[in-house]
Amino acid sequence: MQGTEERSVPCFPQGYAMTSLTESTDVSKSSRAYRWRRRWKSQEAQETRLAWLLILPTAVIVLGLVVFPAIFSIWISFHKVGLGDLNNVFDTPFVGLDNFKSVVNDFAFKPGPLPPDWAEANFFQKIWLALTKWNWGAAITTIVFSFTSTVWTVLLGLGASLLLNHPFRGRGITRAVFLVPYIAPIVGVAFVWRWILDPRPSGVLNDVLLNLGLIDLPVAYLAQRGLALLLVILFTGWRYFPFAMLMILARLQAIDKTMYEAARVDGANTWQQFRHVTLPELRYVIGAIFLLRLMWTFNKFDDIFLLTGGGFGTKVLPILTVEFSFRLRDFGKGAATGMILLVMLVVFLLVYTKVVMKNVEEA
Amino acid sequence: MSHTAASQEPMSALDRMSRSLTWKRFIFLIALFMFLALIVFPFYWMISSSFKTRAEIGAREPVYIPESLNLDAYRELFDPSHPSFQDFGRAIFNSLLVAIPTSLIAVILSILGAYAIARLAFPGKNIMVNGILMIYLFPGVLIIIPLFAMLARLGTMLSFDVQDNLSVLVFTYLAQTLPVALYMLVNYFRTIPTEIEQAGLIDGCSRLGVIWRITLPLAIPAVISVGIYTFMIAWNEFLYAFIFLNDSNMFTMPIAVNTIFNNPTPRPHVVMAASTIMTLPVMFLFLAMERYLAEGLSAGGVKG
Repeated sequence: MQGTEERSVPCFPQGYAMTSLTESTDVSKSSRAYRWRRRWKSQEAQETRLAWLLILPTAVIVLGLVVFPAIFSIWISFHKVGLGDLNNVFDTPFVGLDNFKSVVNDFAFKPGPLPPDWAEANFFQKIWLALTKWNWGAAITTIVFSFTSTVWTVLLGLGASLLLNHPFRGRGITRAVFLVPYIAPIVGVAFVWRWILDPRPSGVLNDVLLNLGLIDLPVAYLAQRGLALLLVILFTGWRYFPFAMLMILARLQAIDKTMYEAARVDGANTWQQFRHVTLPELRYVIGAIFLLRLMWTFNKFDDIFLLTGGGFGTKVLPILTVEFSFRLRDFGKGAATGMILLVMLVVFLLVYTKVVMKNVEEA
Repeated sequence: MSHTAASQEPMSALDRMSRSLTWKRFIFLIALFMFLALIVFPFYWMISSSFKTRAEIGAREPVYIPESLNLDAYRELFDPSHPSFQDFGRAIFNSLLVAIPTSLIAVILSILGAYAIARLAFPGKNIMVNGILMIYLFPGVLIIIPLFAMLARLGTMLSFDVQDNLSVLVFTYLAQTLPVALYMLVNYFRTIPTEIEQAGLIDGCSRLGVIWRITLPLAIPAVISVGIYTFMIAWNEFLYAFIFLNDSNMFTMPIAVNTIFNNPTPRPHVVMAASTIMTLPVMFLFLAMERYLAEGLSAGGVKG
């Protein structure tokens, strides 16, 4: 066992403490080196050194492979970096905001032109056209996708946690089953849903809807603008609600039961109890979940990529980032897209925390 | 349903059911059933589809229950004599080769780091903890571009390959999992009373001795869940493997499944068989350890 005592031994000769006692009386000898040595040997300093030693490997990996690349990506986003430049990145030319301009003007990023029959359409037709025919561009798609799927995820999580807050036989196993979508490999669940939504009549959803007479012809669900995005949002809720459920459930079980008794005595029905007792208690945990899930959903790549490949109105900024960098091999433009994503996220976080903080102060 | 009628006549089974089935209970049961059906069915569909024959998969209507446990799809994955053999065994091996080292190294490093953060005071600690948590904010797609450029440069300097190099993947997965592992363990270590450790120190244990003999045995549940989470993250990861692996001999499972899916002749039963092989171990591992793992989930164990 390597210990602190053992490690400090080679640094200082035995009996050092003895000599230092005599030395300390001599003002001229209480030199800088001496004070430094004394500080070096103090228990506090030893703890600090040990702490740094313990955390060093983690810090090196995280700094080297996350923090440094994160800063480096800012640099890349201002330079023209192609595939051939990877071996001498630092010699690539500085291009200012060119990459950002090129992203913002890209037809995949900005909203496309309005659909052709827009002018004649009435209000409801306009909404329908905007949802199903209009190319929103990745920026708006990202915002719509992340907000709606986060709200949907939190709602599903709330529903599931209210169900599980009831005592019933088999509650433990039900809770475990509810967690499965969250931990199952994304590749497996994405492909099984694609197989359920298969455009051929052999797809389960087509079969069910055809038999119910709700559709006459098989539908290619993931290949239609609007519908594809809706399904991706529904899928996101299906996959990520367990996280919200667990957090809300923990909070629900910590609510003081006497508050419900008091509410019942005052004549509150189930809805009123939920509205005036449960919801206020859940406010902060829901706020926290919303924030976390929104951050993660904003940066989500795999789910959408595997479900639709980013086609049919589901192209969000993370997918665009990867496409620019690894399909077009334009790393500068890719990094600029990623930076735009990050800036959008940070702006939202600042606004959100400001609003939430304000609410906390008022409460 | 009046009381008088009920007290005079013997209650029929239907009557009793309608009594116990209030509206509230009815809605509760419907909702529970919907949740369970929507969760269980896809997994049933994955497993059952993997046992179907080509004819059943290609039928005009979906076959809800396969005729027999047909192993055609699995043969295509594992049997070298099959005409469209996929060599999935290799992909499983590669995935293990990435996931096991990631998990072991992450556990060891995060135990040491978490102990330092939870127990020792040192300057720069808060900056470090907050900095590590900031990683939650960074999009993986943004990190991968500079990482790729950086590793390509390092690779030419130190002459190693960036593409198709599984140890590069291990390092990138470590960078992704360490912050979460650290966070989970720090929270757990803080729940262990320091008095026990101080007793150990007074009795002449070194700090590392204290970690090894006292803290670690007390933190076994947290250590196990960190191990399983990091394993699962490395086992499931798609984006980095997708970018860093080109050679089909080096594919990890997610990339191999994606390749089979994108094959010009669609073979859903093979995709489902491969997905089943990938999903079942994770599911069993999780359900077996559910008691330990549920807490870790809400602590952000699976960032995703």
